[in-house]
Amino acid sequence: MKHFLLASAVSILTASSAFAQDMFLDDVALLAADGTNSVTDIQIRDGIITAMAQDLVAVDGSTVMAGVFVSPPLVTAVSTLGIVDIGAERDTNDTTANTDLASVSLRAADSFNPHEVHIANARRRGVLYGAIVPNPTGDTIFGGTGLVAVLDGSDASILDDTGLVHIALGEAGARRAGGSRAAAMAQLRGALDDVRRTFQTQGEGDVLRRRDARALRAVVAGRVPLMISASRASDLLAIIALKADYASLDIIVVGAEEAHLVADELASAGIKVIVDPHENLPDSFDSVNASLDNVMVIDEAGVDYAIVGLSSFRTIKAGGLAQHAGNAVGNGLPFEAAFQAITGTPARWFGIDLGDIEVGQPASLVVWDGNPLDAMSAPIAIYRNGEALSLESRMTALRDRYNPATDDDRPYKYR
Amino acid sequence: MKTLRTCLALSAALLVACTAADDGEKETIAFELPTAFPSTYEPMPSVATLITNAVIIDGTGEATSANSMLMTDGRITAIGTDLSPNGATVLDAGGRHVTPGIIDIHSHLGNYPTPSVNAHGDGNEVTSPITSEVSAEHGVWPQDPGFDEALQGGVTTLHILPGSANLFGGRGVTLRNAPSRTVQGMKFPNAPYTLKMACGENPKRVYGDRGGPGSRMGNIAGYRKNWIKAAEYKKKIEDGDEPTRDLQLETLAGVLNGDILIQMHCYRADEMAQIIDLSKEFGYQVTTFHHAVEAYKIGDLLAENGICAAMWADWYGFKMESYDGILENIPFVHAAGACAMIHSDDDKNIQRLNQEVAKAWANGNRAGLDISRDEAWTWLSTNPAKALGILDETGTLEVGKRADVVIWNGDPYSTFARPDQVYMDGALMFDRESGLKPQSDFRLGTELAR
Repeated sequence: MKHFLLASAVSILTASSAFAQDMFLDDVALLAADGTNSVTDIQIRDGIITAMAQDLVAVDGSTVMAGVFVSPPLVTAVSTLGIVDIGAERDTNDTTANTDLASVSLRAADSFNPHEVHIANARRRGVLYGAIVPNPTGDTIFGGTGLVAVLDGSDASILDDTGLVHIALGEAGARRAGGSRAAAMAQLRGALDDVRRTFQTQGEGDVLRRRDARALRAVVAGRVPLMISASRASDLLAIIALKADYASLDIIVVGAEEAHLVADELASAGIKVIVDPHENLPDSFDSVNASLDNVMVIDEAGVDYAIVGLSSFRTIKAGGLAQHAGNAVGNGLPFEAAFQAITGTPARWFGIDLGDIEVGQPASLVVWDGNPLDAMSAPIAIYRNGEALSLESRMTALRDRYNPATDDDRPYKYR
Repeated sequence: MKTLRTCLALSAALLVACTAADDGEKETIAFELPTAFPSTYEPMPSVATLITNAVIIDGTGEATSANSMLMTDGRITAIGTDLSPNGATVLDAGGRHVTPGIIDIHSHLGNYPTPSVNAHGDGNEVTSPITSEVSAEHGVWPQDPGFDEALQGGVTTLHILPGSANLFGGRGVTLRNAPSRTVQGMKFPNAPYTLKMACGENPKRVYGDRGGPGSRMGNIAGYRKNWIKAAEYKKKIEDGDEPTRDLQLETLAGVLNGDILIQMHCYRADEMAQIIDLSKEFGYQVTTFHHAVEAYKIGDLLAENGICAAMWADWYGFKMESYDGILENIPFVHAAGACAMIHSDDDKNIQRLNQEVAKAWANGNRAGLDISRDEAWTWLSTNPAKALGILDETGTLEVGKRADVVIWNGDPYSTFARPDQVYMDGALMFDRESGLKPQSDFRLGTELAR
């Protein structure tokens, strides 16, 4: 059995045909979406997995790759991919909107651009699915309605245009709501009450307008997850209390730096959590107790959690998703748990079908040149539903133009 | 007599030195940079220690067959194969990797500390585009919890810079990552000062509606106007004209004199080329371009001009001038023969710079380069030390240098590896197994500290 924490020596032999549709993967370390692993050979013909066993013989004409890792594609549980080109250029940035006309009913799906360059840059690092999350601004705690997307660059990228509703509590929510946590919670409770109201005119809600109250209805019914940005343990307890009042809510807390202080309570309340295993500093008074141990503690307590990289640069850092899970492993989280937190778990939450890596199934998988959770590794092939996806991006085009290893001596702009 | 009198008078105020001109007709006084706020850093107590059975990456860029290293009185006193202890305490590394301590040339720990409350925003003097009179050290809070976490990541030396709002942002300061009540107690003894300058979007955005600069044209004009003033100021001192001491111009004169190293925030390739010409116009050297997201486009120019580039592994796209980032920036600059290095600019990233280098290294070799693991290590300690003017003191494991050493629990390029022990000046500062680790005052009394 391969040791999964060691990078493997990869060799790639291209078959005679330059258009080889078939691929033979020899001595594969196969990771499943639940993080478990095994060793096998895999034959792919015309995009279909035709054989999986040890000691197979390659079908003639196959591209042969040995010593690779194969896994389901990665899923980022929070991202702004597709809704911002350049964060600092307001006109290219659809992550927030300051308007009195809409809050919950602001749909990130209306902003989503599958051709945004960062999507291809994330895909070539193994991230093929994501929850795309708009953020609150102005005087509302509501960021709007997020979407779930496949990051294949196609015009059919949107898998669910009503994947979640995002709100901010904690310091960020307090700032939006007028200056205190009490104001943020009052805004939230008022909005939840507005869902039950029978509107005669659009503007008569305590907090929400008619359209926004309607959009929040599926959240109160538990059909759409309520994603809440919050960090401090006391805020997490307030969310647990909210769940007691509104039992149907499907709550996903983002950030949760102090979840380790209330891990058992989160687990028994059935509240899901998204954490960044790099967060170990008291960035604000919301996270005075931030610790590298956070993810280990919530794992042991049985909390249902996903791992992401959270920061002000969420878009660009989506590509580093695997490194965040890898660091959780470096700090003591079991490998299986870390891998599941960037594949199977967020896929289950958002209804994403990752496909099955089984004989007879169309290939939906990533082939890596090393352990996917080691930052030195990179994908060498990605398939979805039997189709090989491009690993090229604007980044690789720039790389190729300026590569000092090239023998192209034309002027740069002609390359 | 006048020259002598001038000289004495200035000595009291400016600590200048005097030199008599050869011909005796015109005497000039060499500009000498005054010093203040001296370092009070003292290494922690250490015992002579021989590390044996180690896999050593020494930072020279070449592979070494040495497997043991002696640390005595805070210095590396021997490095070789199967050295004998001669009374030193023996630490059997058991085949673990031993490397130099990591050096981060671009950090804001202490001047943008956590918690990031408004009261802690001490990194940018956003009151004028020209603030070469300020010093990062006067905004550093030694209780920033980020210092402790960076130490756990193997960082033994770090350079704190003012932010990039201003054309001339102020002086940077090089620190030992040593637990201290004062910033003076962290200052790297005798390390040169640096001057932070900034290109591009930030100054023109910050000052566009506050009197300028409002464009890249204004940026360049702003640098030139002030280099002209600085050259005049320096000349007045050299001519014995006793100008009133001007902190702003003193720093710039220190650059023109070669005492202060330029660390310049600059993203775009074409802008870096403009800055190189600017430096030639006024006769100073740019030491390092920071961020340098497009350095890969002008690796040859950097190599020709002896300029280093400090870069991220994969940050890009957050503003227009960072849009062309690629994952191979560091290895491409290295392959062009220029001095390349990693930097963090971030309190989380500084904790795992070894991984950032590992990513860049792997991507460079994937793109067809052939860079060894020993060469790649120069991006973590050797080249940052060079760019800070402290390579004769630290940055590599060589006899005579400070014993700044990390012992890793795995391959240091692996995402799963962590420092087991971190030594600074031969003293054990962090030890994973025993839990030895400094703790900021701010962390006391929290749930975490219980």
